[in-house]
Amino acid sequence: MLTIKDLYVSIEGREILSGVNLSVNAGEIHAIMGPNGSGKSTLAAVLAGRETFTVTRGTALYKGVDLLALPPEERARLGLFLGFQYPVEIPGLTSVNFMKAAVNEQRKYKNLPPLSSGEFLKLMRQKMAVVEMDPSFVGRGVNVGFSGGEKKRNEIFQMAMLEPQLAILDETDSGLDVDALRVVANGVNTLKTKDNAFVVITHYQRLLDYIVPDVVHVLYKGRIIKSGSKELALEVENKGYDHIINKE
Amino acid sequence: MKEYTYIPEVQRIFTCTVPGENIRQVFLVDGILQEEENRADGVFLTRGPEGKGLLLNINKDCTDRPIQIISVRSENLPQPLEFSNTWMLEPGAKAQIIVCDHTLKEYLYSTLRFSNIILGEGAHLDILFMQNEHGRSRYRLDLNVELKKNARLNCHILSLYGGTIQNKVQVHLLGPGAACYLDGLYLADCEQNTEYHIAVKHHSPNCHSSQLFKGILDNQAKALFNGIIYVAPGAQKTEALQANHNLLLTNDAKITTQPQLEIYADDVKCSHGATIGRLDEQVLFYMRSRGIPLAEAQMMQQMAFVQDVLKHVPNPAIRSRLEKMVESRLRGEFTKCAHCTMHCC
Repeated sequence: MLTIKDLYVSIEGREILSGVNLSVNAGEIHAIMGPNGSGKSTLAAVLAGRETFTVTRGTALYKGVDLLALPPEERARLGLFLGFQYPVEIPGLTSVNFMKAAVNEQRKYKNLPPLSSGEFLKLMRQKMAVVEMDPSFVGRGVNVGFSGGEKKRNEIFQMAMLEPQLAILDETDSGLDVDALRVVANGVNTLKTKDNAFVVITHYQRLLDYIVPDVVHVLYKGRIIKSGSKELALEVENKGYDHIINKE
Repeated sequence: MKEYTYIPEVQRIFTCTVPGENIRQVFLVDGILQEEENRADGVFLTRGPEGKGLLLNINKDCTDRPIQIISVRSENLPQPLEFSNTWMLEPGAKAQIIVCDHTLKEYLYSTLRFSNIILGEGAHLDILFMQNEHGRSRYRLDLNVELKKNARLNCHILSLYGGTIQNKVQVHLLGPGAACYLDGLYLADCEQNTEYHIAVKHHSPNCHSSQLFKGILDNQAKALFNGIIYVAPGAQKTEALQANHNLLLTNDAKITTQPQLEIYADDVKCSHGATIGRLDEQVLFYMRSRGIPLAEAQMMQQMAFVQDVLKHVPNPAIRSRLEKMVESRLRGEFTKCAHCTMHCC
């Protein structure tokens, strides 16, 4: 589904990613771990199309399409989703109107008619249940006045609405208490099918108790220095990144 | 008793479909009221001095039926026009007024409208000015409002379209307990020029005022916001707020904002603030990452920006109509029918 080859990325002349290789297949969950500043969020942002970064070398093919050539909205319509580490607040735009616009753009792309208000509300209620979200949230400005946990929950809610084929979750677990973590993980597990894939970026092994990855990668200084099974996450947890970095 | 209706010769030209079936419509063509006088349901209206302008007297019998004053510039009078209005709300009266200014032709119209509004004790006025002309028109509103004890003014000014729009607004809070809520939204593109000169004057203690003005400027448009809160000696316990926020869509658009406070009392709560910014790149990326195209994301962000001004418009039907008008204005969808320069829909 996603094949990244030898990806080099820099921002303002400073190299952040230095030759990332990654291959994700349908039905898989990949976890990317790594210390602060290793380039995890950059990788997520570049895949989603953030224009502040410059790709200096390498390719990223998504379902055979050159992902890096597409604007962010087209990547989204092709089924790519980024769960933000810091979801932005948009005062004046309600979640319901935001999601309606997003869902209908996606439907337009698939040559489907826009959902009626009734259909849309029904879909929304269904998906809010997945993340145990209070219905009053959708009438409020997007993420406005939400706690950290509510924002992350809202990201998973948006993911549920858009049903992406490849979801990249950038530190969705950071700042979450145990209950919120369980809700978020439960959302991912509910949405998981054999046809979609998840790339979960995280600092801690904790999230991986709830979302069990097929492959774990350790990103360090812009490169994946080690990949392995879910036991690798435990190794990181027990012995720290230094242990792995020094060994490699 | 005569009903307020469209005057026939204007009705043939356009029909205003402002929502609300029970709206009363009053027409002024080239500053002249299209009926001699009319007295109904606590509202007395007649022509002003020299037969021009509108005198309005509203007493407590006025119902909650909104009054829409539609002022049209016709092809018969391309010359500059000045007229003045005096509108009086008797003590305890409540009224909702919508003022719409239009042009029938794309002449170089110039209109100066003086409006004096007096709110008697406990009177309550909701007033909305819709400034919706064309790119060559010059329009000036000179509005002076006096509020007596416990009177309340809720005033919205929407500058949607006009070559040059100047709004000079003076509000005098003359009696204790008076309250004034003043909002404005200006949308300008091309070479349009919009000016707001606002003065809210607290002459009496225990009054409250709040102002929110927002603008979006595109192309080479220019705008000026000059707002002052004045608190007279002895006007203690004044609470006065003012905010002016601007969004510039291009490097050539220009805004000058001058928020000012002039305070001569020592037990007051006053604040003012002004910002100038552009569309937020992070918000745009967030929207695009959900599949919303760039142009639509820019549009949504602008609509989100104006939302807190529009949400203060109390009548929901009119509010949703305004939202649509603002949106088509921002989308540049003011396509003109051959016989209409109204830009309403």
